[in-house]
Amino acid sequence: MGPSQIPPLTYKVVAECSVSKARAGLMTLRHSEVSTPVFMPVGTQGTLKGILPDQLIELNCQILLGNTYHLGLRPGIETLKKAGGLHKFMGWPRAILTDSGGFQMVSLLQLAEIDEHGVNFRSPFDNSQCMLTPEHSIQIQNAIGADIMMQLDDVVKTTTTGPRVEEAMERTIRWVDRCIEAHARDDDQSLFPIVQGGLDVPLRQRCVSALMERQVRGFAVGGLSGGESKHDFWRMVDVCTGYLPKDKPRYLMGVGFAADLVVCVALGIDMFDCVFPTRTARFGCALVDSGQLNLKQPKYKVDMEPIDKDCECSTCKRYTRSYLHHIATNESVSCSLLSIHNVAYQLRLMRGMREAIQRDEFPQFVADFMARHFKAEPVPAWIREALSAVNIQLPADPERTDDQEQKPKTEKRRETADVAEEQVASS
Amino acid sequence: MKFAIESISKNSGRLGQLRIKDGGPDFKTPLLLQTTKGGSIPWLSADVFESHVSQKPQVLQFTLSTMDHMTEALTHWNSGGGRGLSDYVGLPGHLNILMLRDPCETTPSGGNDRDILPLFTRRGKESLSSERYMEMVASFKPDFYEGLCDADTNLESAKKRIQKSVDRTEKFMHYIYEHRGKVNSTLLAPIVGGYNTFARTQSIKHAREQPAGSYGGYIFEGFHTNGLSATTLDTSKLLPIVEHCVKQLEEDKPRLMPGAYTPLTILELIRQGIDMFDSSYAYCASLNFKALTFSFVQDAVEHAPFLDITDEAIKEDFTPPLSNCSCLTCQKHTRAYLHHLYKTNELLGPILLIVHNLHHYMAFFEKIRESVARDELPRLTEFVRNQNGKTQVDYSIAANTKVISKAAMGKGFAAAAV
Repeated sequence: MGPSQIPPLTYKVVAECSVSKARAGLMTLRHSEVSTPVFMPVGTQGTLKGILPDQLIELNCQILLGNTYHLGLRPGIETLKKAGGLHKFMGWPRAILTDSGGFQMVSLLQLAEIDEHGVNFRSPFDNSQCMLTPEHSIQIQNAIGADIMMQLDDVVKTTTTGPRVEEAMERTIRWVDRCIEAHARDDDQSLFPIVQGGLDVPLRQRCVSALMERQVRGFAVGGLSGGESKHDFWRMVDVCTGYLPKDKPRYLMGVGFAADLVVCVALGIDMFDCVFPTRTARFGCALVDSGQLNLKQPKYKVDMEPIDKDCECSTCKRYTRSYLHHIATNESVSCSLLSIHNVAYQLRLMRGMREAIQRDEFPQFVADFMARHFKAEPVPAWIREALSAVNIQLPADPERTDDQEQKPKTEKRRETADVAEEQVASS
Repeated sequence: MKFAIESISKNSGRLGQLRIKDGGPDFKTPLLLQTTKGGSIPWLSADVFESHVSQKPQVLQFTLSTMDHMTEALTHWNSGGGRGLSDYVGLPGHLNILMLRDPCETTPSGGNDRDILPLFTRRGKESLSSERYMEMVASFKPDFYEGLCDADTNLESAKKRIQKSVDRTEKFMHYIYEHRGKVNSTLLAPIVGGYNTFARTQSIKHAREQPAGSYGGYIFEGFHTNGLSATTLDTSKLLPIVEHCVKQLEEDKPRLMPGAYTPLTILELIRQGIDMFDSSYAYCASLNFKALTFSFVQDAVEHAPFLDITDEAIKEDFTPPLSNCSCLTCQKHTRAYLHHLYKTNELLGPILLIVHNLHHYMAFFEKIRESVARDELPRLTEFVRNQNGKTQVDYSIAANTKVISKAAMGKGFAAAAV
């Protein structure tokens, strides 16, 4: 059988948690096998900040995310076509997933207007009026050649209410048909539709059932992780995974904080992406089970321990917190060192969950993780509720002590505009 | 430290063997030191350097201007026993030399007041006294360290400034010679004095007056102010003064000339009897988006000294930066990709460039040692000079001042609205 006869994506569930909705799977793509649940590091412009493809392979990273909006600008479709696609252009032999570019339009370009035709915006470079249609998005994604591509969806702010939410959901369904129609490489690339519907349960349900009527190989859950309450967040995820078919992978877009990953795996999500691990590295922060260490803090000046004694990444094998403290945000190598560790952290967390699901010990894994993550602090109510919804009961919180160390302060960091992602001091 | 000269030739300079530590590795001279920033090879993690540049032990060039803030931590670290300065920066097994100024960046002029030396760091100007400097050396515990010196001179310096640099250095060194017993590191005696033969002689004389065993080698300072300034030196001015100095030095001690000298200048300096250089030229090229492409293997093709990564003409050039190069960058990546990384200001751009440039420069030094051993340095020098072209190749590096034009970005992601 020639490669074109094998579907470009096959997915099989390898193990299911007997308590929650968590599952471990194996997704086979043209460029790589991907064990799920998986975290996909974001390589926005055809590179993961300061990390060599060889280093990612060493970390056993199987799939990367690329941003269609950025890649369409630079190097541009023509160059990508001539290079033979993004894999060859960037020297990455394994799998790639691309977004549709729509989210960047809306988040980066204040002047974007959406109508039935597509996303209308002013070019940030020459101020000319441009239009991104579902067809254009697919055309670029076909040129990029990622293993998995996303439909263009109508993104509204998570906190939007009223008829606009329903309009966006309905339009997203109409646009998926235009995307499927425009998709020219279905033998090599799999197009995922995106579940929209805001924070409205019936809308989400309608969206899922409409998308399930289409011939697709996996689904994305979109429109979350954008400032809604955590209570709404987990309920929407739970609703979507409740209706999505079991035999196809489910991708929750833009989620990557450790606790969110653990909860959403319990709710039945298979794929995640987030810029957070590499972005926070540039601010001198290293991820650990208890949150993150801000290595710029004076207390690390003479701390001769590695970031994490149990971490096997090349940074933890060689470098102390003390040395990293002195070079963080000063020397650009610190960005590479912390990014390696942070990506290694995310991948290790996912591997831990996969193995726990395969041993059918996932609920215990969740309990242990939450104990390490929140230490003496109480586990947030939304996490207890979410886990309880999938039959995982966490033990009662320990007695409160005054230990305030390493409180996760990730939320603050998220204000940084996506544009900042590109601005790496190279000196 | 042991330094043994294996051969000396009028035309090819010296071939030597340097053993820094008993039981440690031997290094052949002419030797390329690995310059560092804040203790790390520029842009490269230890893992990437050792996996993709070299697995052999190196001599790391540490600079106080990028590491002075680590003094307190190093005091703690070094009291742990069994581990040293190279281990702290993640590069165990490599030897090191501690210098004052970063050869990669232009050192500002001025601030030469009283009995202190200005140290220009990223956190501003620090004032080093001889006492403070020796305390820092004691905390760092390097294998070698540079004597404290006023090197604020270049070809344009007035006679008065040059004389002051010699006098001030003498004063600093007076203290250091007296207190050098408090540290276990080997001292390199600084030779300063700009381009003035009289001043250079005076500086050498001060070193030569010291009792035997006071220092293990020489370090030449004050010919340039680091950064790109070293790539544009007038060798017709530089070489005579170096020749003048070298004649007066003890033969059995290694001579170091820090700075981003061009490949051609390095060959000419080796002929004069200089033994050690550093990799700051490879850094400066990478910083300014140049891949080194000069050839040192004789053939009949004309070669350019650099590939300019900022050149629009390579936007869709899917060939390696340098054909036949075995480095990771050339094996796995293309000119077009490097150009893209430049355009997008991505950190991987300088990483891939310095992997190639260090690989290339280290291979160049292998070739140099081979040529010195065969007494064929003049042939290599002639080849490097013209690269099979009709005229001398320009190896100087100009600062990259190109602004990434937003208008040049593709609009391929969307069509103009009708």
